[in-house]
Amino acid sequence: MKDEIRKEEKLDKSLETSLMDSLVSCEKCHLCNTDCPVCDHRVTHGPVGINRAIYYGMKWNQFTKELRDLVYSCTTCARCVATCKQVSRALPLVEIFEKARELLLVEKMIGPMPDQRNVLKNIYRRGNPWGCPPQERTKWAEGLDVFYASKKNNVETLYYVGCATSYDPQSQKIAKNLSKILKRAGIDFGILENEQCSGSEAKRMGEKGLFEHLAETNMKMFEEAGIRHIVTGDPHSFYSFSQEYPNRTNGLKVEHYTQFLNRLIDEMKLTLSMRVPKKVTYHDPCYLGRKSEVFEEPRKLIKRIPGVEFVEMEKCKENSDCCGMGGGRMWMEPPKGLVSSHVIAEKRVKQAFDTAAEILLTACPFCNITLTDAVKGLNKEDSLKIIDITELMAMSL
Amino acid sequence: MNVGQEEMVRSLREMVGEDYVNTDVFERINYADTSLPYDVEEEDLPDVVVHPGNAHEVAEVVKYANREKIPVTTYGSGTSLIFGTKPKHRGITLSTKRLNFFQIEEDFQWFECGAGVTIAHITGELEKRGYCLPINVGSRLQATIGGAVSVNTCGHLMDYIYGKPVSNVLSVEIVLPTGEIIQTGSKSIRRATGWDLMRLFVGAEGILGVITRIRMAFYPKPETVDTVAFFKTAEEIGHAFALMFKKKLPPILDGEFVSEKCCKVGYEAYGLDFPEGAMAVTQSMGRTKEDALNNAKQVADFLRRAGAIESFVLEDAKIRGQVWGVRENAMRWGKEKGLKGYLAIEVNPPLPFLPRAIRELNHITEGRNDLIGGTEAYLYGHIGASSLHCLFAFPYAWSREKMKQVVRDIWNLEKDLNIKYDGVGGDWGQLPYRVPFYREKYGETSYGIIKKVKQLLDPNNILNRGNLEGEE
Repeated sequence: MKDEIRKEEKLDKSLETSLMDSLVSCEKCHLCNTDCPVCDHRVTHGPVGINRAIYYGMKWNQFTKELRDLVYSCTTCARCVATCKQVSRALPLVEIFEKARELLLVEKMIGPMPDQRNVLKNIYRRGNPWGCPPQERTKWAEGLDVFYASKKNNVETLYYVGCATSYDPQSQKIAKNLSKILKRAGIDFGILENEQCSGSEAKRMGEKGLFEHLAETNMKMFEEAGIRHIVTGDPHSFYSFSQEYPNRTNGLKVEHYTQFLNRLIDEMKLTLSMRVPKKVTYHDPCYLGRKSEVFEEPRKLIKRIPGVEFVEMEKCKENSDCCGMGGGRMWMEPPKGLVSSHVIAEKRVKQAFDTAAEILLTACPFCNITLTDAVKGLNKEDSLKIIDITELMAMSL
Repeated sequence: MNVGQEEMVRSLREMVGEDYVNTDVFERINYADTSLPYDVEEEDLPDVVVHPGNAHEVAEVVKYANREKIPVTTYGSGTSLIFGTKPKHRGITLSTKRLNFFQIEEDFQWFECGAGVTIAHITGELEKRGYCLPINVGSRLQATIGGAVSVNTCGHLMDYIYGKPVSNVLSVEIVLPTGEIIQTGSKSIRRATGWDLMRLFVGAEGILGVITRIRMAFYPKPETVDTVAFFKTAEEIGHAFALMFKKKLPPILDGEFVSEKCCKVGYEAYGLDFPEGAMAVTQSMGRTKEDALNNAKQVADFLRRAGAIESFVLEDAKIRGQVWGVRENAMRWGKEKGLKGYLAIEVNPPLPFLPRAIRELNHITEGRNDLIGGTEAYLYGHIGASSLHCLFAFPYAWSREKMKQVVRDIWNLEKDLNIKYDGVGGDWGQLPYRVPFYREKYGETSYGIIKKVKQLLDPNNILNRGNLEGEE
């Protein structure tokens, strides 16, 4: 027992030490606050302010609710990371905030945000953040003749659906359309009968232990089903699988569907033939774009749909604004005084209105849900539709 | 100060609304902390941070502070490198960030905006219409126009192209330390001769009033073409630029240089195979791209004749990006040696003294037994504007006292160098840490005049208290 305590102390100390080491590198130039979705008129609400709050919180032993609210307000969109890399000290700001969340949750026991506690419990107990019944996870596939991936079935490609796409009725369209597209291309694919959360959002909320547990379980499941290739429509899981999972390079190929479907078109396995005469624009999901640097494939795919007129929003690719729901914000509304998720999402859809597009495309279930709510909130459902790229592609099959 | 924090907060909330008055410790830390390498202490924090939304609210706050003798420190975005936003006597920190009105009047050829609008926003909006803002500071993404006008800086730009803000600001709205709001200047691009109160406040570093609104002229955006030149030493760059003006070359918009050590770090960071030594980058301008290109070619030819190992026009976008990357890598110098503490200075010698000043600064830490000798110095700057910066990097593990001491030593060194080379603080302003320089260079009579003007307008010394006194 004493050894375990000592080991934990050592781990905590190492977390605090590594956090402090990163924090002292900050030049305090404030340039990271530029374009931060949660930064308003108060310096404190931007990355530099949060960074300094963590630093002095640790230094002055001020682990308060105010510190927690600041640390958990970040959407982890990494806009600040790009700016810091470009013009300052290249600090891994999102990594710093996630480590601070881990510190607040594990060591100081004041994290996560109250609304997120049940979310973490749900992920642990039921394998998804909403606490939906695990047996209903694959219900969306009923009648679609989608196989379960297993050692016996030995599918070439695993379609990892993700939690939101499995349970949210609006997002289920992504799964249905993608399955339809894959079938049309003759792909030998399957889904996991006992698929569970990738753990990506648990990590965002500072629950690194749960993330590691899920990563281990999922890797084991992939191995048992003989999986060598994963395709997903969830950029958050895609990022975790390809950049955060241990032994991720162990021969397992992970692709977002925008990459895979382009390849299928290149190999003449998939043809988009029907004209879809729509003016569309595209919102880069943070975890697909900035975090995974997949900028061109979604655009290429959109432009391959006959009849589509594609226009860019003023802020796009590396400079794209966030939808506001990353970093665990999907399950909490920040306290009064901090920028609300609706404000962030409405700002983004207003940029889409400026393009005069009829459709705002995205490639992430989180963005899809959030931006749809924002359009509804603005009573502009007749002017702008929010759909996933797969839905537009399905119209063209 | 006649009132306590609680009473102060209650009164301020009545003036600007509950959401815009904050006393949370992290808020107060963030509005006290600056890019100084040592940490703030509890006694450095303001009592309250207030975010008024218009000039009338600013006036209410200032009037109240004056009545109750509460110090008020004005805060734009906190990018000041003279650390003027650090409160010296607690009190109220007044953020201008919500003064964000912005309007371009193309027919009048000026824009008008609140003091809290960023330089980047103004630049972006003007560029959409083919105009440019005659200010280009390194911190443009966050720096506010109110801050730039308060210190009268044009940043990296050559002073003789568009002039300092005082030459381009047409009007400022000021809240005086006693709470009255005054308007100055003109709506015409023809500015007033003789007494124009506007000029008193531009460059006053916020000690005479709070600038709440600015009207400023803009210019057609020139086409630009960049040139790079590689020299064996930074000193040779100094010789070349000291000579360039006498050759009556087409004026450049911006001229930057990076010394040998900085180049080495930058080249390694980006994996570049540029010639060993120092590097100069210039930005030539013209009404058309062809004009700019012709002007750039003349600069490239001149720099080659003036001793550059190699010089050429930066027509390849990739190489252009790499060259500017080396210059913009400045914020990371010291990191390669694990040094995380840092402080930069500026020395602005007259042209004939440029080479000598560069040589001295380039070897500034050598042979010293003091704390400066224990730092790593990186020389760079806006050579076209005769502005030399030197960044001193040192271990973050140094104690607070040791850091404070090295900061004082470096400031003192900057003072001595500017006195020796007859320079000034040309980029960042004169207060607060440069007060000893100001007094030594211009004398006590000059310094006394500023104090008298301050006393006349701000009898209770509430605005930016401690800055004119040179307090840290």
